[in-house]
Amino acid sequence: MAARSGITVIAGVRTGLRDAWDEAVRLFANVTFGVSLLAVWALLTLIGVVIDQGKDASFYANAYAPPIARLIARLDLWNVYHSPGYIAIIGMILLSMTAATFTKVIPRRIPRLSPVKIEAIPLHAFVRAAGEPDAVRERIAAFFAARGWNIRKRAFGGDEWTFADKNNWARRGVLVAHVGFVLIAAGTTVYWATGYSGTFAVVSGQTAAIPQNGASVELRRFGYRIDPIRTKAGIVYQPIDYVSEAVVTGRDGVPRAETIRVNHPINVDGTLVYQATYGFAIDFRLTHDGRLVAGGPTRPLMEGDAFPIPGTTRAIQYQRFVGTIDRATGTIGPDPRPNDPGVVIAAFDGDRPIGNALVPLGRRIALGAGYALEPARYTLYSGFEYRHDPGIPLVGLGAFVLLAGLCISLYFLPARLFVVVRPLAAGASEIGVAATTVRGYDVFEDRFRELVEALRRETPEPATEGAAPRLVAGV
Amino acid sequence: MDPTRELLDQTLLKIAIASYVTGALTLVAYFLARRPALRAIGLPLAVLGGGVQLVELAVRWWMTGVWPLTNLYGSLSLFSACGALIFAFFAYRYDLALAGGPVLSVCAIALSYATIWNEGTMPAVPALQSYWIKIHVPIVIAAYASFMVAFCVSLLYLFKDAVERRYGTRPPVVRGAAAAAGGSAAGITVSAYAVQPTLTTIGTGTPARRPGETALSDAAAAGDPIAQWLAGLPSLGRLDVMQYRIIAVGLPLLSLGIITGAMWAKEAWGAYWQWDPKETAALVSWIVYAAYMHLHTRPDWKGRRTAWIGVLGFATIVFCYLGVNIWISGLHSYKM
Repeated sequence: MAARSGITVIAGVRTGLRDAWDEAVRLFANVTFGVSLLAVWALLTLIGVVIDQGKDASFYANAYAPPIARLIARLDLWNVYHSPGYIAIIGMILLSMTAATFTKVIPRRIPRLSPVKIEAIPLHAFVRAAGEPDAVRERIAAFFAARGWNIRKRAFGGDEWTFADKNNWARRGVLVAHVGFVLIAAGTTVYWATGYSGTFAVVSGQTAAIPQNGASVELRRFGYRIDPIRTKAGIVYQPIDYVSEAVVTGRDGVPRAETIRVNHPINVDGTLVYQATYGFAIDFRLTHDGRLVAGGPTRPLMEGDAFPIPGTTRAIQYQRFVGTIDRATGTIGPDPRPNDPGVVIAAFDGDRPIGNALVPLGRRIALGAGYALEPARYTLYSGFEYRHDPGIPLVGLGAFVLLAGLCISLYFLPARLFVVVRPLAAGASEIGVAATTVRGYDVFEDRFRELVEALRRETPEPATEGAAPRLVAGV
Repeated sequence: MDPTRELLDQTLLKIAIASYVTGALTLVAYFLARRPALRAIGLPLAVLGGGVQLVELAVRWWMTGVWPLTNLYGSLSLFSACGALIFAFFAYRYDLALAGGPVLSVCAIALSYATIWNEGTMPAVPALQSYWIKIHVPIVIAAYASFMVAFCVSLLYLFKDAVERRYGTRPPVVRGAAAAAGGSAAGITVSAYAVQPTLTTIGTGTPARRPGETALSDAAAAGDPIAQWLAGLPSLGRLDVMQYRIIAVGLPLLSLGIITGAMWAKEAWGAYWQWDPKETAALVSWIVYAAYMHLHTRPDWKGRRTAWIGVLGFATIVFCYLGVNIWISGLHSYKM
């Protein structure tokens, strides 16, 4: 008894699960539901465009009113694209596409060859033709076949029907587009699972390594070209070229001279290295009562680097390099090239900013309590990005397939013509033609009109009264 | 540029703007009066404007050696030219001249606005020194231009739809002689402005007519001059198909633009997708138009709702094209 009730319960659970599964598949395969997911995706993406992404909390506190800043923090709107919600939406869209593909797109076969009520189909026409039905039927079949229609004939209840199909293969366009999406998602997943990326900067004359593959990049020289261009608004200093001359050593241990430019990455053992940025590293001399401080900076600092002042709670940050200081005003000039260079430094007491200053290179600035700082000289450094992405071939293939699917769906309209020829009088027949397409009737109206006009032109009219085509008003 | 070359550049620019303005006025007059002569003047002006602008961009390239699409001026110029030429293609192929007024007005405004950003010739920044700029930018701009033309057709659709609905809510009119002859009662289009032939006139059926459409036909048959004018506009079904066809040009172009942009980004920045505001805004536009395509397959969405989606889609395009370039800084901020 207990065993039987257990079986009943299991069967009930199974039925319930199957019903829930069917309901879920129906929901996810629903076009309106899929489009709703697309709408949410678009909205979240738009939020990410409007709100700066990846900044720290103080940025939002300064940039937005307090309630909005709080909202951004609470809803993780500062990191929309990597939030669980965003990834979940993309996952649900993929599920929706999969459900629609398996329940709607793949099962959608070519419609059965069966007779229709010609006048019940909005796109229809009746044309009178000279000749017995069999002869007219042959002419009609030849007419449509000559225009690329695939002809099949079937007899139903004494009437012989001619079915003409075009672009039936294009019914698979949506499937192809969906497959493209899945391939892109697969390629992205491959990168997440096995790829890596990162950035590094190298001061001229020094070497840096890519930790994931052990390759090393020694920067021999970094060069840039910035030209002053006269425009209607005044002089603009336009960057023209950034070039890193480097020696790269890969897995084989053989050093190779390489030139790395923007848009021209180099390949080191399957990892691409890109020219990303550049800057001016500064040798700072920290002194106390005129003597060099042992705990001061020991290497050239890059923009954003900071160092503590030994024995105090204070720190100095090198904020940015200034190419040209206007000597007359002591302010920052527009020319970024190092004509009369200086640096902007900021002082902090703990985390609290206590001031900043523009200091010309080679000049000393007093920091108080006997300390002084001198930005002594600059050295160019080059910033690189590296990326190993084994998913790229899949993503590329997916993009191609997606585009192909779009073009198939949009430019090849699967259509079917239903043609029936019936005797009208001796030596006269009436041709009934109706058309259906996968995209409704309006989209085929022009083409159908052209076909009917051509049919009328090429079909000899019966030499009897009432040879004019029958006017039909539609449904 | 030396003064002679600049004069040639400016002359071509003025010819293009004059063509757009005159073409827009002529086609607005055609929209109102439906005189074929106005159409015959307006459409060649659209072709002339677009053609002259392409020549202007080519001349600029030839004279300076700098690809002209590295700034907002160049891209807006190409946008206007593509808009005018895509419109002209659809106008000749599908008889869409009635939408020419708004299309050419947008072209004229875009080109005039572009001149604000014309700071002369500047060499490209390193990121733009790539063969991809000659592939990616024209494709994306052509997509934007397609969506602009589709947007103008959406406006025409919504205008006609609103008027038809208004007629649909009016009390029935007493039909005139044409209706008495059985035309309207039999469902055959009867209009003094029957500029757009319907299938009915060649003996084929048309999809079921909306109540507003019938009311408009009845009012036209009863001699209402406004109804007669409105009845001469393309049917809502036809406008919907036009909008669909133009978006069907724009969406693959936008897809190809995003794909080529990703390929370029991979070469320049190391990743094919950086979540840069420009590319994410383009993704938003793509999603909106993808939603349009999906909903256009649904009979309950096709028509007024998809026309509104066309309007929304173009709003996202404007945001992506100008809003992101001008107001949001990112990797695509090439204003000058």
